[in-house]
Amino acid sequence: MFAVTTLIAVSFSIGSFRIEEAERPFLYSVLLWIILTFSALSGLARSFIKEEEAGTIDVLKLSARPQAVFLGKLLFNLTLLGALELVIVPLFILLMAYQINFPGLFVAMVISGGLGLGAGTTIIAAMIARASARGALFSALSFPLLLPIMIISIKGCERAAVGISTAGWPEVRIAVAYFVIMITMSLLLFPLVWEE
Amino acid sequence: MFTLNVSGIGKHYRETLLFRDISFQLNRGDVLAIAGWNGSGKSTLLRVIAGLVRPSAGRVEMFAGSESIPKESRRRFIGMVAPAISLYDELTGLENMEFFCRVRGFACSRNDCLDIVDRMGLTEHAKKMCGDYSSGMKQRLKLAQALLHRPSLLLLDEPGCNLDSKGIKVVEEIISRQRELGVTVIASNEKREVGYADRIINLSE
Repeated sequence: MFAVTTLIAVSFSIGSFRIEEAERPFLYSVLLWIILTFSALSGLARSFIKEEEAGTIDVLKLSARPQAVFLGKLLFNLTLLGALELVIVPLFILLMAYQINFPGLFVAMVISGGLGLGAGTTIIAAMIARASARGALFSALSFPLLLPIMIISIKGCERAAVGISTAGWPEVRIAVAYFVIMITMSLLLFPLVWEE
Repeated sequence: MFTLNVSGIGKHYRETLLFRDISFQLNRGDVLAIAGWNGSGKSTLLRVIAGLVRPSAGRVEMFAGSESIPKESRRRFIGMVAPAISLYDELTGLENMEFFCRVRGFACSRNDCLDIVDRMGLTEHAKKMCGDYSSGMKQRLKLAQALLHRPSLLLLDEPGCNLDSKGIKVVEEIISRQRELGVTVIASNEKREVGYADRIINLSE
């Protein structure tokens, strides 16, 4: 709901005719990733908070290995984010008349950026689940962790919109590397976060 | 044979000391009661033993025969029931059992799950959503969940909470049966529940 509402608000208030042709690839990439990132932050953070609030976190700790819990939550978050991107990205392209000259790179960037976003948000959600000042902590933690993936995804989408074909798709590779690093670090650190 | 060894356990939260120097050893067949005033740390001590909370001092060791059980492997030996522990309201009683079987990684047929639910007197309610259960029914389901994997260490925090006389009989049978399997630790203020134990540790003293 947040994503759709934000998208409609952006498309109505800005619209394609208010932005210079030359600036559209960059600005639209920024807008798209702001919508996706904030939607991810508002929606995916609940994955661990819900367990804490329902009182099921202890029985989960007593039953399952920490890595299994993390991977389960990650899979859920990635599925949710994937569904969100499937709805929001086409809608964004339609409503904003977003011209993409290199669709292959664009799709790869959305997928790899989404993977990175999902992985980063999942470990942040685990860290803040038991905090009392979740809002402030969430902002403080998410900014440094998610900024790199946001920047690289914006850059990759901008290139795809402009039609610059860079050999080897470096932005996609960096996003995939980010995803792999986040998963690896999360699997190593999550047991420490999971324990009280 | 399962052994629980607790040495010099202490716990404080910020500047408040809950308890210190708690030591005991329990072997198969032993039942220990932890008694004390509200806020004396009974539930916290149980959580320390379960590995849900890190102690401020001391250590908890578990042995299967002469072999020490590492911390990461202990969950298959522990079953716990506590007021703070909830099951999934959005699943039925039976689905909760099947879920925890899968999560614990052991083969458990629907009939096995039905058997344990039946032992708790919840057969008629097995296919109802856990969210629709009364507090007594939820307590019985928690007991079922704790016994699903035949734990060597059963931790019961106020096991008779919300139970009627039939439910209390079920608890008595569980404690009696658990003597054959392993060790039971009960945290309670109820005289009846403390009376099930062979030994008592009073945290208020």
